[in-house]
Amino acid sequence: MTPDLLIQSTIIGLSIGSIYILMALGLTLMFGMMHIINFAHGAIYMLGAFAIYYIFFQGGVPYFAAFVLAMILLGTFGYLIERSIYRPIKGGIEPTLVALLALTTFLQAAGYPIFGQLDKHVPPVFQGTRNVLGVMVSVERLMIIPMAGALVVGLYLFINKTKMGAAMRAIEQDKEAAALQGVDVHAVNGLAFAIGFALAAASGALMAPIFKLDPMMGEQPLLKAFIIIILGGLGSIPGAILGGLMLGLIDSIVATALGAEPAFLLSFVFIILVLLFKPTGLFGYAP
Amino acid sequence: MRLRIGVLVVLALLALLIPPLGGDYYVHLFALVFTNVILAASLRPSLTCGQLNIGHSAFMSIGAYASALLAKNLAVPFEISMLCGAVLAAAVGLAIGYPSLRLRGVYFAMVTVAFVEVIRLIAQLWVPLTRGMSGLSGIPKPNLLGVTLATKASQYYLALALMLLTLLILWKLESSRLGLIWKSIGMADNLAQSLGVNIANHKLLAFMLGCFFAGVAGAFYAHFIRFLFPPEFGFLMATNILVYNYVGGRGHFAGPIVGAVFLSLLSEPFRGNAYETIFFSIAMLLTILFLPGGLITLPGKLAGLRWRKAPAALSPGATA
Repeated sequence: MTPDLLIQSTIIGLSIGSIYILMALGLTLMFGMMHIINFAHGAIYMLGAFAIYYIFFQGGVPYFAAFVLAMILLGTFGYLIERSIYRPIKGGIEPTLVALLALTTFLQAAGYPIFGQLDKHVPPVFQGTRNVLGVMVSVERLMIIPMAGALVVGLYLFINKTKMGAAMRAIEQDKEAAALQGVDVHAVNGLAFAIGFALAAASGALMAPIFKLDPMMGEQPLLKAFIIIILGGLGSIPGAILGGLMLGLIDSIVATALGAEPAFLLSFVFIILVLLFKPTGLFGYAP
Repeated sequence: MRLRIGVLVVLALLALLIPPLGGDYYVHLFALVFTNVILAASLRPSLTCGQLNIGHSAFMSIGAYASALLAKNLAVPFEISMLCGAVLAAAVGLAIGYPSLRLRGVYFAMVTVAFVEVIRLIAQLWVPLTRGMSGLSGIPKPNLLGVTLATKASQYYLALALMLLTLLILWKLESSRLGLIWKSIGMADNLAQSLGVNIANHKLLAFMLGCFFAGVAGAFYAHFIRFLFPPEFGFLMATNILVYNYVGGRGHFAGPIVGAVFLSLLSEPFRGNAYETIFFSIAMLLTILFLPGGLITLPGKLAGLRWRKAPAALSPGATA
């Protein structure tokens, strides 16, 4: 592998890593508060990408407006899922997981009759390439990094600096105690669903101009996000960020050298080793 | 109890009568239904322990490929190749389960989901052995004691026998002390541990047992369909096996059996198209939201309704 190729795959790794981080952050946030894994995350990523296809490409709405609209729409959908699935099950973790799994397969399967059998493509939003450290990288891929970065910083500020964020952290520490202090647990859980879904939609919306669109497109990013949160430790936000960057780099560099499938197999072997020797993840703490 | 035995005898007679009375279509369909029953029932021990295994199809795939390759390349008889496939599936289950079962259930669930993809990729990429995406064809028909089971009907009886044997073993285990331990782990693992149950080992054992029988189902499937294609054993099949358990009902041994038979037959008209999955996922969501105990609790609920309605229907007459 030449140095140029290494720099190029590092930059691409960073941009893929930012997408993984957005996916993993939503998952880890929802896990921290409700102890559930949102299996529907990949399907929401897919819907985010299709929202860009219909709103931006077909509807002619400017990209940034379409991006925000996709996040709002799917965030609302997340809130409704909390109302209609999570809340009626009353906190049963296993039934919730299975219901989310069913929602996933439903959205994926319904995608074929609704969106059509053929792959869809969104035209590039940012044209051209830019010279970074002597290699040419497409602006499209570069732009993912600041946009995802802004969302991560926004989420961080929201969780740490606002009253709602404090309520979320309170629920994460102790749900009953938070409720006794007057936190509306249902509403805050609904908010966590909305934020998680909106972040997944944002990942899909960022990737829409780069990859082809089909109803199963969310499966790979979902598995990657699982690997990241196992790697980083469930419920840990710094873990999700570092894990996402690591996996993005591994993915891009190993995939350039060996191919995408061996890269995935390798990352699976890696998490099995992590689970064997450091079961709470690289950055996690004992639950 | 006598009623239950009567129902079982009638069902067994019906099962025996399908090949002489039904056509090839029904023989084929029901052999696959029996495979699904083995898969669904073999997931139950793990679920009883509270472990969500969302990757059962991967172990079916291991059993299928191992048995098919042994029989095809080395001319190993079916009984032995099937056992090898099942043992290999259980051994891989040990390798995956040991690191992930010591932690919270969600880790295990995530690892099993990713593992489906791992097995699919291996089957797809190891072209010299598995023929990858061209699919593995030319798998010999099953044989028993040196006699090849050439007709679909004889293979159907093999499926029936394998299913009954699997159900018998799983039923005996579930009604033994081991079954009680599994239930105790599923209900309150901390409490079970405080009473001296080694929960990690028992979770692992229940999981490996399921992998073993998934391997058996896979081996039968391989020699019955005689063509293996890596994406077949994907995420969708794994969720279907889970759906059988939930829709059938988690509370009783009969749950996965009822679920597998009911859903396999009901989804038959949509087999192979997108509506099959839509049907499955809607059935799953409706069951979880409105019938949490599954189909096996339905007769009881209906009886309860009738019992409640009956006095109401009588009351106008009583007042008159």
